[in-house]
Amino acid sequence: MSKEHPVLNHLAVSFIVLIASIGILFAFLAITQDVFLYPERYFSGGITLAQLEQLVILISGILASISVSAVLYLLATRRTSTELTVANTTRWLAISREQFRRLYDNAPVPYVTLNAEGEIGQPNLAALRFFETTPEELIGKNLFSFRADEEGKFADQLFVNYKLKIPINREELQIVTGRGKKKWVLISIFETKSLTGKEHAGLASIFDITEQKHLDKAKTEFVSLASHQLRTPLATIRWYTDMLLSEDVGELSAKQKEYVEGLFSVDKEMIDLVDALLNVSRIEMGTLPVDKKPTNVEDLIESILVELGPQIGEKKLRIEKVYNDALKNIESDPKLLRIVIQNLISNAVKYTPEEGTVTIALEKSLHEKKIIVSDTGFGIPKDAQERVFTKLFRADNVRKLSTSQGTGLGLYLVKSIVETLGGTITFVSEENTGSTFTITL
Amino acid sequence: MENTENKKKVLVIDDDKHLSMLLVDKLNASGFEARGEKSGVDGLKTALETHPDIILLDVVMPNMDGWEMLGKLREDEWGKHAKVIMLSVLENADNTAQAIEKGALGYLIKTNWSLDQVVDQIKEALKVG
Repeated sequence: MSKEHPVLNHLAVSFIVLIASIGILFAFLAITQDVFLYPERYFSGGITLAQLEQLVILISGILASISVSAVLYLLATRRTSTELTVANTTRWLAISREQFRRLYDNAPVPYVTLNAEGEIGQPNLAALRFFETTPEELIGKNLFSFRADEEGKFADQLFVNYKLKIPINREELQIVTGRGKKKWVLISIFETKSLTGKEHAGLASIFDITEQKHLDKAKTEFVSLASHQLRTPLATIRWYTDMLLSEDVGELSAKQKEYVEGLFSVDKEMIDLVDALLNVSRIEMGTLPVDKKPTNVEDLIESILVELGPQIGEKKLRIEKVYNDALKNIESDPKLLRIVIQNLISNAVKYTPEEGTVTIALEKSLHEKKIIVSDTGFGIPKDAQERVFTKLFRADNVRKLSTSQGTGLGLYLVKSIVETLGGTITFVSEENTGSTFTITL
Repeated sequence: MENTENKKKVLVIDDDKHLSMLLVDKLNASGFEARGEKSGVDGLKTALETHPDIILLDVVMPNMDGWEMLGKLREDEWGKHAKVIMLSVLENADNTAQAIEKGALGYLIKTNWSLDQVVDQIKEALKVG
Protein backbone atom coordinates (compact mmCIF):
# COMPACT_ATOMS: atom_id res chain seq x y z
CA MET A 1 0.00 0.00 0.00
CA SER A 2 2.74 2.33 0.97
CA LYS A 3 4.28 1.75 -2.44
CA GLU A 4 1.15 2.84 -4.12
CA HIS A 5 0.40 5.90 -1.97
CA PRO A 6 3.58 7.54 -0.70
CA VAL A 7 1.97 10.97 -0.38
CA LEU A 8 -0.95 9.73 1.70
CA ASN A 9 1.46 7.75 3.82
CA HIS A 10 3.59 10.79 4.59
CA LEU A 11 0.52 12.76 5.54
CA ALA A 12 -0.57 9.99 7.90
CA VAL A 13 2.80 9.79 9.62
CA SER A 14 2.91 13.58 10.04
CA PHE A 15 -0.56 13.44 11.59
CA ILE A 16 0.46 10.77 14.10
CA VAL A 17 3.57 12.64 15.10
CA LEU A 18 1.63 15.88 15.44
CA ILE A 19 -1.23 14.41 17.49
CA ALA A 20 1.10 12.36 19.66
CA SER A 21 3.27 15.43 20.31
CA ILE A 22 0.23 17.50 21.25
CA GLY A 23 -0.94 14.69 23.61
CA ILE A 24 2.45 14.42 25.30
CA LEU A 25 2.74 18.21 25.52
CA PHE A 26 -0.68 18.45 27.22
CA ALA A 27 0.25 15.66 29.66
CA PHE A 28 3.59 17.35 30.41
CA LEU A 29 1.82 20.69 30.92
CA ALA A 30 -0.74 19.08 33.23
CA ILE A 31 1.98 17.46 35.41
CA THR A 32 4.17 20.60 35.46
CA GLN A 33 1.18 22.78 36.40
CA ASP A 34 0.30 20.31 39.15
CA VAL A 35 3.89 20.24 40.52
CA PHE A 36 4.03 24.04 40.60
CA LEU A 37 0.64 24.43 42.21
CA TYR A 38 0.92 21.52 44.67
CA PRO A 39 4.65 20.83 45.36
CA GLU A 40 3.85 19.08 48.66
CA ARG A 41 2.10 16.30 46.69
CA TYR A 42 5.39 15.35 45.07
CA PHE A 43 8.00 15.99 47.65
CA SER A 44 6.36 14.75 50.88
CA GLY A 45 6.85 11.07 50.07
CA GLY A 46 4.29 8.40 49.16
CA ILE A 47 1.85 8.50 46.37
CA THR A 48 -1.33 10.31 47.13
CA LEU A 49 -4.70 9.63 45.57
CA ALA A 50 -4.33 12.91 43.67
CA GLN A 51 -1.03 11.78 42.23
CA LEU A 52 -2.62 8.53 41.13
CA GLU A 53 -5.42 10.56 39.53
CA GLN A 54 -2.82 12.65 37.69
CA LEU A 55 -1.10 9.50 36.43
CA VAL A 56 -4.35 8.00 35.18
CA ILE A 57 -5.17 11.27 33.38
CA LEU A 58 -1.68 11.24 31.87
CA ILE A 59 -1.91 7.65 30.61
CA SER A 60 -5.48 8.22 29.35
CA GLY A 61 -4.29 11.33 27.53
CA ILE A 62 -1.50 9.37 25.84
CA LEU A 63 -3.85 6.47 24.93
CA ALA A 64 -6.47 8.90 23.60
CA SER A 65 -3.86 10.63 21.42
CA ILE A 66 -2.69 7.28 20.07
CA SER A 67 -6.30 6.21 19.31
CA VAL A 68 -7.10 9.46 17.59
CA SER A 69 -3.84 9.16 15.64
CA ALA A 70 -4.69 5.61 14.63
CA VAL A 71 -8.17 6.60 13.49
CA LEU A 72 -6.74 9.54 11.58
CA TYR A 73 -4.09 7.29 10.05
CA LEU A 74 -6.72 4.81 8.91
CA LEU A 75 -8.87 7.60 7.53
CA ALA A 76 -5.91 9.07 5.75
CA THR A 77 -4.73 5.83 4.21
CA ARG A 78 -8.19 4.36 3.44
CA ARG A 79 -8.74 4.60 -0.30
CA THR A 80 -12.07 5.55 -1.77
CA SER A 81 -13.92 3.04 -4.00
CA THR A 82 -13.02 5.12 -7.06
CA GLU A 83 -9.37 4.88 -6.12
CA LEU A 84 -9.77 1.11 -5.73
CA THR A 85 -11.46 0.75 -9.12
CA VAL A 86 -8.73 2.81 -10.73
CA ALA A 87 -6.09 0.68 -9.05
CA ASN A 88 -7.73 -2.56 -10.13
CA THR A 89 -8.34 -1.38 -13.66
CA THR A 90 -4.76 -0.25 -13.93
CA ARG A 91 -3.58 -3.64 -12.76
CA TRP A 92 -5.85 -5.49 -15.18
CA LEU A 93 -4.82 -3.20 -17.98
CA ALA A 94 -1.22 -3.98 -17.26
CA ILE A 95 -1.98 -7.72 -17.20
CA SER A 96 -4.05 -7.74 -20.38
CA ARG A 97 -1.51 -5.55 -22.12
CA GLU A 98 1.10 -8.08 -21.22
CA GLN A 99 -1.16 -10.91 -22.38
CA PHE A 100 -1.87 -9.13 -25.64
CA ARG A 101 1.81 -8.49 -26.14
CA ARG A 102 2.57 -12.17 -25.66
CA LEU A 103 -0.31 -13.21 -27.88
CA TYR A 104 0.85 -10.83 -30.58
CA ASP A 105 4.49 -11.81 -30.31
CA ASN A 106 3.88 -15.55 -30.25
CA ALA A 107 0.84 -15.82 -32.53
CA PRO A 108 1.38 -18.44 -35.24
CA VAL A 109 0.17 -15.99 -37.88
CA PRO A 110 2.64 -13.30 -38.95
CA TYR A 111 1.48 -9.82 -37.94
CA VAL A 112 3.06 -6.44 -38.60
CA THR A 113 1.87 -2.98 -37.64
CA LEU A 114 1.99 -0.32 -40.33
CA ASN A 115 2.25 3.44 -40.24
CA ALA A 116 0.43 5.79 -42.60
CA GLU A 117 3.08 5.17 -45.27
CA GLY A 118 2.66 1.40 -45.08
CA GLU A 119 6.01 1.02 -43.34
CA ILE A 120 6.43 -1.84 -40.92
CA GLY A 121 6.50 -0.91 -37.21
CA GLN A 122 6.26 -3.93 -34.97
CA PRO A 123 6.61 -7.34 -36.55
CA ASN A 124 5.74 -10.32 -34.34
CA LEU A 125 7.97 -13.40 -34.12
CA ALA A 126 5.99 -15.27 -36.76
CA ALA A 127 6.47 -12.30 -39.10
CA LEU A 128 10.24 -12.41 -38.56
CA ARG A 129 10.25 -16.14 -39.31
CA PHE A 130 8.02 -15.59 -42.31
CA PHE A 131 10.12 -12.80 -43.81
CA GLU A 132 13.30 -14.72 -42.89
CA THR A 133 14.95 -11.58 -41.62
CA THR A 134 15.88 -9.56 -38.53
CA PRO A 135 13.72 -6.85 -36.94
CA GLU A 136 16.31 -4.25 -37.99
CA GLU A 137 15.96 -5.24 -41.64
CA LEU A 138 12.18 -5.34 -41.49
CA ILE A 139 11.22 -2.29 -39.46
CA GLY A 140 10.78 0.84 -41.52
CA LYS A 141 10.41 -1.00 -44.83
CA ASN A 142 7.23 -0.69 -46.85
CA LEU A 143 5.23 -3.90 -46.54
CA PHE A 144 4.26 -3.83 -50.21
CA SER A 145 7.89 -3.60 -51.29
CA PHE A 146 8.22 -7.31 -50.47
CA ARG A 147 5.95 -8.23 -53.40
CA ALA A 148 7.19 -10.51 -56.16
CA ASP A 149 8.12 -8.75 -59.41
CA GLU A 150 5.14 -10.09 -61.32
CA GLU A 151 2.77 -8.74 -58.65
CA GLY A 152 3.87 -5.12 -59.07
CA LYS A 153 0.60 -3.76 -60.39
CA PHE A 154 -1.57 -5.61 -57.92
CA ALA A 155 0.63 -4.73 -54.94
CA ASP A 156 0.57 -1.05 -55.99
CA GLN A 157 -3.21 -1.22 -56.10
CA LEU A 158 -3.29 -2.72 -52.59
CA PHE A 159 -0.99 0.04 -51.37
CA VAL A 160 -3.27 2.68 -52.85
CA ASN A 161 -6.24 0.96 -51.20
CA TYR A 162 -4.40 0.99 -47.87
CA LYS A 163 -3.68 4.69 -48.13
CA LEU A 164 -7.32 5.35 -49.05
CA LYS A 165 -8.35 3.25 -46.01
CA ILE A 166 -10.17 0.76 -48.22
CA PRO A 167 -10.20 -2.52 -46.27
CA ILE A 168 -7.89 -5.23 -47.58
CA ASN A 169 -9.40 -8.60 -46.85
CA ARG A 170 -7.68 -11.89 -47.68
CA GLU A 171 -6.09 -10.73 -50.91
CA GLU A 172 -3.83 -13.27 -52.56
CA LEU A 173 -0.33 -11.94 -53.10
CA GLN A 174 3.02 -13.44 -53.96
CA ILE A 175 5.88 -12.02 -51.92
CA VAL A 176 9.65 -12.44 -51.71
CA THR A 177 11.28 -12.96 -48.30
CA GLY A 178 14.52 -11.46 -47.07
CA ARG A 179 16.33 -14.54 -48.35
CA GLY A 180 14.73 -14.27 -51.76
CA LYS A 181 12.23 -17.09 -51.30
CA LYS A 182 8.86 -16.70 -53.01
CA LYS A 183 5.78 -17.28 -50.89
CA TRP A 184 2.06 -17.03 -51.48
CA VAL A 185 0.05 -15.21 -48.83
CA LEU A 186 -3.46 -14.09 -48.00
CA ILE A 187 -3.03 -10.55 -46.75
CA SER A 188 -5.55 -8.64 -44.64
CA ILE A 189 -5.06 -5.15 -43.23
CA PHE A 190 -7.25 -3.73 -40.47
CA GLU A 191 -7.23 -0.05 -39.74
CA THR A 192 -5.97 0.86 -36.29
CA LYS A 193 -5.12 4.08 -34.45
CA SER A 194 -1.57 5.30 -34.19
CA LEU A 195 -0.14 6.22 -30.77
CA THR A 196 -0.98 9.88 -31.29
CA GLY A 197 -4.42 8.86 -32.50
CA LYS A 198 -4.17 11.23 -35.41
CA GLU A 199 -2.31 9.32 -38.09
CA HIS A 200 -3.68 6.45 -40.12
CA ALA A 201 -2.18 3.12 -39.10
CA GLY A 202 -2.80 -0.54 -39.84
CA LEU A 203 -2.38 -4.04 -38.55
CA ALA A 204 -1.57 -6.53 -41.29
CA SER A 205 -2.03 -10.27 -40.96
CA ILE A 206 -0.06 -12.31 -43.44
CA PHE A 207 -1.37 -15.83 -43.85
CA ASP A 208 1.10 -18.15 -45.57
CA ILE A 209 -0.69 -20.30 -48.17
CA THR A 210 2.39 -21.41 -50.11
CA GLU A 211 1.91 -25.03 -49.09
CA GLN A 212 -1.75 -25.03 -50.15
CA LYS A 213 -0.81 -23.43 -53.45
CA HIS A 214 1.75 -26.15 -54.14
CA LEU A 215 -0.71 -28.90 -53.21
CA ASP A 216 -3.44 -27.39 -55.37
CA LYS A 217 -1.01 -27.12 -58.25
CA ALA A 218 0.15 -30.70 -57.79
CA LYS A 219 -3.44 -31.95 -57.70
CA THR A 220 -4.44 -29.99 -60.76
CA GLU A 221 -1.37 -31.20 -62.59
CA PHE A 222 -2.12 -34.77 -61.61
CA VAL A 223 -5.68 -34.60 -62.86
CA SER A 224 -4.55 -32.99 -66.06
CA LEU A 225 -1.82 -35.60 -66.52
CA ALA A 226 -4.16 -38.50 -65.69
CA SER A 227 -6.69 -36.98 -68.03
CA HIS A 228 -4.19 -36.88 -70.86
CA GLN A 229 -2.66 -40.30 -70.23
CA LEU A 230 -6.00 -42.06 -69.88
CA ARG A 231 -7.75 -40.35 -72.74
CA THR A 232 -5.02 -40.74 -75.31
CA PRO A 233 -5.29 -44.55 -75.59
CA LEU A 234 -9.08 -44.30 -75.53
CA ALA A 235 -9.00 -41.82 -78.40
CA THR A 236 -6.63 -44.15 -80.24
CA ILE A 237 -9.01 -47.12 -79.86
CA ARG A 238 -11.88 -44.96 -80.98
CA TRP A 239 -10.09 -43.94 -84.18
CA TYR A 240 -8.87 -47.46 -84.91
CA THR A 241 -12.45 -48.73 -84.69
CA ASP A 242 -13.58 -45.72 -86.76
CA MET A 243 -11.07 -46.66 -89.39
CA LEU A 244 -12.13 -50.31 -89.48
CA LEU A 245 -15.84 -49.46 -89.49
CA SER A 246 -15.38 -46.96 -92.34
CA GLU A 247 -14.00 -49.94 -94.33
CA ASP A 248 -11.40 -47.70 -95.95
CA VAL A 249 -8.95 -50.54 -95.53
CA GLY A 250 -11.20 -53.39 -96.61
CA GLU A 251 -14.67 -54.74 -96.10
CA LEU A 252 -15.60 -56.40 -92.80
CA SER A 253 -17.72 -59.50 -92.50
CA ALA A 254 -20.99 -59.08 -90.57
CA LYS A 255 -19.48 -60.76 -87.50
CA GLN A 256 -16.26 -58.71 -87.70
CA LYS A 257 -18.35 -55.58 -87.91
CA GLU A 258 -20.36 -56.62 -84.84
CA TYR A 259 -17.14 -57.21 -82.88
CA VAL A 260 -15.65 -53.89 -83.87
CA GLU A 261 -18.90 -52.13 -82.99
CA GLY A 262 -18.73 -53.84 -79.59
CA LEU A 263 -15.20 -52.52 -79.18
CA PHE A 264 -16.38 -49.07 -80.17
CA SER A 265 -19.21 -48.97 -77.62
CA VAL A 266 -17.06 -50.29 -74.77
CA ASP A 267 -14.45 -47.65 -75.62
CA LYS A 268 -17.17 -44.99 -75.55
CA GLU A 269 -18.19 -46.18 -72.07
CA MET A 270 -14.58 -45.96 -70.91
CA ILE A 271 -14.33 -42.41 -72.27
CA ASP A 272 -17.51 -41.49 -70.37
CA LEU A 273 -16.19 -43.12 -67.20
CA VAL A 274 -12.86 -41.31 -67.39
CA ASP A 275 -14.69 -38.03 -68.01
CA ALA A 276 -16.95 -38.68 -65.01
CA LEU A 277 -13.98 -39.57 -62.79
CA LEU A 278 -12.07 -36.49 -63.83
CA ASN A 279 -15.11 -34.29 -63.30
CA VAL A 280 -15.59 -35.82 -59.86
CA SER A 281 -11.98 -35.07 -58.92
CA ARG A 282 -12.27 -31.55 -60.29
CA ILE A 283 -15.46 -31.03 -58.27
CA GLU A 284 -13.85 -32.39 -55.12
CA MET A 285 -10.77 -30.23 -55.60
CA GLY A 286 -12.93 -27.25 -56.36
CA THR A 287 -11.18 -26.72 -59.68
CA LEU A 288 -14.20 -27.24 -61.93
CA PRO A 289 -14.47 -23.88 -63.60
CA VAL A 290 -17.97 -22.42 -63.92
CA ASP A 291 -18.39 -20.41 -67.07
CA LYS A 292 -21.85 -18.85 -67.05
CA LYS A 293 -23.28 -17.50 -70.28
CA PRO A 294 -26.62 -17.34 -72.10
CA THR A 295 -27.73 -20.95 -72.44
CA ASN A 296 -30.51 -22.55 -74.43
CA VAL A 297 -31.61 -25.57 -72.39
CA GLU A 298 -33.82 -26.85 -75.23
CA ASP A 299 -30.82 -27.05 -77.54
CA LEU A 300 -28.84 -28.94 -74.91
CA ILE A 301 -31.66 -31.47 -74.49
CA GLU A 302 -32.06 -31.92 -78.23
CA SER A 303 -28.35 -32.63 -78.70
CA ILE A 304 -28.47 -35.16 -75.84
CA LEU A 305 -31.50 -36.87 -77.39
CA VAL A 306 -29.64 -37.18 -80.69
CA GLU A 307 -26.72 -38.74 -78.86
CA LEU A 308 -28.99 -41.20 -77.05
CA GLY A 309 -31.02 -41.84 -80.22
CA PRO A 310 -29.79 -45.44 -80.73
CA GLN A 311 -30.71 -46.56 -77.18
CA ILE A 312 -34.07 -44.76 -77.29
CA GLY A 313 -34.88 -46.36 -80.64
CA GLU A 314 -33.76 -49.80 -79.54
CA LYS A 315 -36.06 -49.74 -76.50
CA LYS A 316 -38.91 -48.09 -78.43
CA LEU A 317 -39.18 -45.43 -75.73
CA ARG A 318 -41.56 -42.51 -76.06
CA ILE A 319 -39.99 -39.13 -75.37
CA GLU A 320 -42.38 -36.41 -74.24
CA LYS A 321 -41.16 -32.86 -74.31
CA VAL A 322 -42.93 -30.13 -72.36
CA TYR A 323 -40.60 -27.23 -73.00
CA ASN A 324 -43.13 -24.35 -72.57
CA ASP A 325 -40.53 -22.07 -74.23
CA ALA A 326 -39.38 -21.61 -70.64
CA LEU A 327 -35.62 -22.00 -70.69
CA LYS A 328 -34.51 -20.87 -74.12
CA ASN A 329 -32.21 -18.24 -72.68
CA ILE A 330 -30.97 -18.66 -69.14
CA GLU A 331 -27.70 -17.66 -67.53
CA SER A 332 -25.82 -20.88 -66.78
CA ASP A 333 -22.79 -22.94 -67.73
CA PRO A 334 -23.96 -24.89 -70.78
CA LYS A 335 -21.18 -27.46 -70.53
CA LEU A 336 -21.89 -28.30 -66.89
CA LEU A 337 -25.64 -28.16 -67.36
CA ARG A 338 -25.27 -30.55 -70.26
CA ILE A 339 -23.45 -33.07 -68.06
CA VAL A 340 -26.30 -32.81 -65.53
CA ILE A 341 -29.16 -33.21 -68.02
CA GLN A 342 -27.27 -35.86 -69.99
CA ASN A 343 -26.91 -37.97 -66.84
CA LEU A 344 -30.57 -37.62 -65.91
CA ILE A 345 -31.92 -38.45 -69.38
CA SER A 346 -29.41 -41.24 -69.86
CA ASN A 347 -30.45 -42.74 -66.50
CA ALA A 348 -34.12 -42.47 -67.46
CA VAL A 349 -33.41 -44.22 -70.75
CA LYS A 350 -31.21 -46.85 -69.12
CA TYR A 351 -33.62 -47.73 -66.33
CA THR A 352 -36.92 -47.67 -68.21
CA PRO A 353 -38.12 -50.94 -69.77
CA GLU A 354 -39.15 -51.19 -73.41
CA GLU A 355 -41.98 -49.01 -74.69
CA GLY A 356 -41.88 -46.85 -71.58
CA THR A 357 -42.07 -43.07 -71.53
CA VAL A 358 -39.47 -40.46 -70.61
CA THR A 359 -40.81 -36.96 -70.01
CA ILE A 360 -38.64 -33.85 -70.04
CA ALA A 361 -40.35 -30.74 -68.74
CA LEU A 362 -39.04 -27.19 -68.38
CA GLU A 363 -40.69 -24.63 -66.13
CA LYS A 364 -40.00 -21.07 -65.23
CA SER A 365 -41.51 -18.96 -62.48
CA LEU A 366 -40.54 -15.58 -61.15
CA HIS A 367 -37.75 -16.89 -58.95
CA GLU A 368 -37.03 -20.38 -60.15
CA LYS A 369 -36.21 -22.40 -63.19
CA LYS A 370 -36.97 -26.10 -63.20
CA ILE A 371 -35.77 -28.98 -65.30
CA ILE A 372 -37.83 -32.10 -64.64
CA VAL A 373 -36.94 -35.54 -66.03
CA SER A 374 -39.39 -38.34 -65.25
CA ASP A 375 -39.68 -41.90 -66.46
CA THR A 376 -41.93 -44.94 -66.18
CA GLY A 377 -38.99 -47.09 -65.20
CA PHE A 378 -37.87 -49.49 -62.49
CA GLY A 379 -37.78 -46.79 -59.82
CA ILE A 380 -35.50 -46.67 -56.80
CA PRO A 381 -36.30 -48.97 -53.85
CA LYS A 382 -37.45 -47.05 -50.74
CA ASP A 383 -34.61 -48.30 -48.55
CA ALA A 384 -32.02 -47.13 -51.08
CA GLN A 385 -33.45 -43.68 -51.69
CA GLU A 386 -31.39 -41.81 -49.14
CA ARG A 387 -28.14 -43.05 -50.69
CA VAL A 388 -29.02 -42.07 -54.24
CA PHE A 389 -26.61 -39.13 -54.43
CA THR A 390 -23.68 -40.84 -52.71
CA LYS A 391 -20.59 -41.81 -54.65
CA LEU A 392 -20.60 -45.28 -56.25
CA PHE A 393 -24.28 -45.81 -55.41
CA ARG A 394 -26.12 -48.40 -57.47
CA ALA A 395 -29.57 -49.65 -56.54
CA ASP A 396 -29.94 -53.41 -56.13
CA ASN A 397 -32.88 -53.66 -58.51
CA VAL A 398 -30.85 -52.32 -61.44
CA ARG A 399 -27.51 -53.85 -60.49
CA LYS A 400 -28.85 -57.16 -61.80
CA LEU A 401 -29.76 -55.73 -65.20
CA SER A 402 -27.15 -57.08 -67.52
CA THR A 403 -27.89 -54.41 -70.08
CA SER A 404 -26.98 -51.41 -67.99
CA GLN A 405 -23.47 -50.39 -67.15
CA GLY A 406 -23.62 -47.60 -64.63
CA THR A 407 -20.53 -46.08 -63.08
CA GLY A 408 -22.22 -45.17 -59.81
CA LEU A 409 -20.81 -41.68 -60.27
CA GLY A 410 -23.57 -40.12 -62.33
CA LEU A 411 -25.98 -38.82 -59.69
CA TYR A 412 -23.16 -37.89 -57.31
CA LEU A 413 -21.69 -35.79 -60.08
CA VAL A 414 -25.12 -34.37 -60.99
CA LYS A 415 -25.76 -33.22 -57.42
CA SER A 416 -22.27 -31.75 -57.05
CA ILE A 417 -22.55 -29.83 -60.32
CA VAL A 418 -26.08 -28.60 -59.60
CA GLU A 419 -24.87 -27.29 -56.25
CA THR A 420 -21.83 -25.71 -57.87
CA LEU A 421 -24.26 -23.91 -60.19
CA GLY A 422 -26.19 -22.71 -57.13
CA GLY A 423 -29.20 -25.00 -57.59
CA THR A 424 -30.80 -27.97 -55.88
CA ILE A 425 -31.93 -31.41 -56.98
CA THR A 426 -34.77 -33.52 -55.56
CA PHE A 427 -36.53 -36.68 -56.65
CA VAL A 428 -39.56 -38.85 -56.01
CA SER A 429 -39.51 -42.48 -56.96
CA GLU A 430 -41.56 -45.60 -56.56
CA GLU A 431 -40.36 -49.04 -57.45
CA ASN A 432 -41.81 -50.41 -60.72
CA THR A 433 -43.65 -47.12 -61.35
CA GLY A 434 -40.88 -44.68 -62.14
CA SER A 435 -38.78 -41.78 -60.94
CA THR A 436 -38.95 -38.01 -61.30
CA PHE A 437 -35.84 -35.87 -60.82
CA THR A 438 -36.29 -32.13 -60.48
CA ILE A 439 -33.47 -29.61 -60.80
CA THR A 440 -34.23 -26.16 -59.49
CA LEU A 441 -31.89 -23.39 -60.58
CA MET B 1 -10.38 -34.67 -105.24
CA GLU B 2 -10.87 -35.75 -108.83
CA ASN B 3 -7.67 -34.12 -109.89
CA THR B 4 -4.82 -35.98 -108.25
CA GLU B 5 -2.39 -33.20 -109.20
CA ASN B 6 -4.43 -30.82 -107.13
CA LYS B 7 -4.54 -32.71 -103.84
CA LYS B 8 -4.50 -30.48 -100.79
CA LYS B 9 -1.50 -31.02 -98.55
CA VAL B 10 -2.15 -31.77 -94.88
CA LEU B 11 0.60 -31.94 -92.28
CA VAL B 12 -0.23 -33.95 -89.15
CA ILE B 13 1.96 -33.21 -86.12
CA ASP B 14 1.32 -35.59 -83.25
CA ASP B 15 3.79 -37.48 -81.05
CA ASP B 16 1.36 -40.40 -80.67
CA LYS B 17 2.30 -42.81 -83.46
CA HIS B 18 -1.14 -44.44 -83.54
CA LEU B 19 -3.14 -41.26 -83.81
CA SER B 20 -0.68 -39.78 -86.26
CA MET B 21 -0.78 -42.85 -88.50
CA LEU B 22 -4.58 -43.10 -88.34
CA LEU B 23 -5.05 -39.46 -89.27
CA VAL B 24 -2.58 -39.70 -92.16
CA ASP B 25 -4.21 -42.91 -93.46
CA LYS B 26 -7.71 -41.49 -93.13
CA LEU B 27 -6.77 -38.24 -94.84
CA ASN B 28 -5.00 -40.03 -97.67
CA ALA B 29 -8.07 -42.25 -98.09
CA SER B 30 -10.23 -39.13 -98.16
CA GLY B 31 -8.37 -37.54 -101.07
CA PHE B 32 -5.73 -35.47 -99.33
CA GLU B 33 -1.99 -35.67 -99.53
CA ALA B 34 -1.14 -36.15 -95.88
CA ARG B 35 2.12 -36.63 -94.07
CA GLY B 36 2.90 -36.97 -90.40
CA GLU B 37 5.60 -35.63 -88.11
CA LYS B 38 6.17 -36.85 -84.57
CA SER B 39 7.44 -33.71 -82.88
CA GLY B 40 7.03 -29.97 -82.81
CA VAL B 41 10.63 -29.46 -83.96
CA ASP B 42 10.30 -31.75 -87.03
CA GLY B 43 6.78 -30.48 -87.66
CA LEU B 44 7.92 -26.88 -87.77
CA LYS B 45 10.79 -27.73 -90.12
CA THR B 46 8.53 -29.65 -92.51
CA ALA B 47 5.84 -26.99 -92.37
CA LEU B 48 8.26 -24.23 -93.32
CA GLU B 49 9.78 -26.35 -96.12
CA THR B 50 6.64 -27.78 -97.69
CA HIS B 51 4.06 -25.08 -96.95
CA PRO B 52 1.09 -27.45 -96.44
CA ASP B 53 -2.47 -26.19 -97.02
CA ILE B 54 -3.41 -27.00 -93.45
CA ILE B 55 -1.68 -28.24 -90.31
CA LEU B 56 -3.24 -30.53 -87.70
CA LEU B 57 -1.30 -29.78 -84.55
CA ASP B 58 -1.32 -31.78 -81.31
CA VAL B 59 -1.03 -29.74 -78.11
CA VAL B 60 0.85 -31.95 -75.66
CA MET B 61 4.19 -33.06 -77.10
CA PRO B 62 7.64 -33.39 -75.52
CA ASN B 63 10.34 -30.75 -76.12
CA MET B 64 8.36 -28.33 -78.22
CA ASP B 65 4.62 -28.48 -77.55
CA GLY B 66 1.87 -27.35 -79.88
CA TRP B 67 1.59 -23.87 -78.43
CA GLU B 68 5.30 -23.21 -78.77
CA MET B 69 5.35 -24.56 -82.30
CA LEU B 70 2.37 -22.42 -83.24
CA GLY B 71 4.15 -19.38 -81.81
CA LYS B 72 7.31 -20.13 -83.84
CA LEU B 73 5.24 -20.77 -86.96
CA ARG B 74 3.57 -17.36 -86.61
CA GLU B 75 7.00 -15.69 -86.65
CA ASP B 76 7.51 -16.89 -90.23
CA GLU B 77 6.32 -14.82 -93.18
CA TRP B 78 4.39 -17.74 -94.67
CA GLY B 79 3.55 -19.31 -91.31
CA LYS B 80 1.88 -16.10 -90.16
CA HIS B 81 -1.19 -16.98 -92.21
CA ALA B 82 -0.93 -20.77 -92.29
CA LYS B 83 -4.14 -22.64 -91.49
CA VAL B 84 -3.86 -24.60 -88.27
CA ILE B 85 -6.32 -26.78 -86.38
CA MET B 86 -5.29 -27.75 -82.84
CA LEU B 87 -5.92 -31.31 -81.67
CA SER B 88 -5.91 -32.52 -78.10
CA VAL B 89 -7.42 -34.98 -75.68
CA LEU B 90 -7.62 -32.21 -73.10
CA GLU B 91 -10.99 -30.60 -72.72
CA ASN B 92 -10.39 -27.16 -71.41
CA ALA B 93 -12.11 -23.85 -72.05
CA ASP B 94 -8.82 -21.97 -71.59
CA ASN B 95 -7.13 -24.05 -74.27
CA THR B 96 -9.96 -23.42 -76.71
CA ALA B 97 -9.74 -19.69 -76.06
CA GLN B 98 -5.96 -19.77 -76.41
CA ALA B 99 -6.23 -21.62 -79.75
CA ILE B 100 -8.61 -19.02 -81.16
CA GLU B 101 -6.45 -16.20 -79.81
CA LYS B 102 -3.38 -17.61 -81.54
CA GLY B 103 -5.24 -17.75 -84.82
CA ALA B 104 -5.98 -21.49 -84.97
CA LEU B 105 -9.16 -22.37 -86.84
CA GLY B 106 -10.33 -24.74 -84.13
CA TYR B 107 -9.52 -26.86 -81.13
CA LEU B 108 -10.73 -30.45 -81.53
CA ILE B 109 -11.02 -32.90 -78.66
CA LYS B 110 -9.83 -36.27 -79.95
CA THR B 111 -12.15 -38.38 -77.80
CA ASN B 112 -15.18 -36.37 -78.87
CA TRP B 113 -14.60 -36.44 -82.61
CA SER B 114 -14.73 -39.34 -85.02
CA LEU B 115 -12.17 -39.48 -87.83
CA ASP B 116 -14.92 -38.65 -90.32
CA GLN B 117 -15.81 -35.55 -88.33
CA VAL B 118 -12.16 -34.47 -88.25
CA VAL B 119 -11.97 -34.88 -92.03
CA ASP B 120 -15.17 -32.85 -92.38
CA GLN B 121 -13.60 -30.09 -90.31
CA ILE B 122 -10.56 -30.03 -92.56
CA LYS B 123 -12.72 -29.93 -95.67
CA GLU B 124 -14.71 -27.09 -94.15
CA ALA B 125 -11.52 -25.20 -93.31
CA LEU B 126 -10.19 -25.65 -96.84
CA LYS B 127 -13.62 -25.17 -98.41
CA VAL B 128 -13.28 -28.31 -100.53
CA GLY B 129 -15.29 -31.48 -100.89
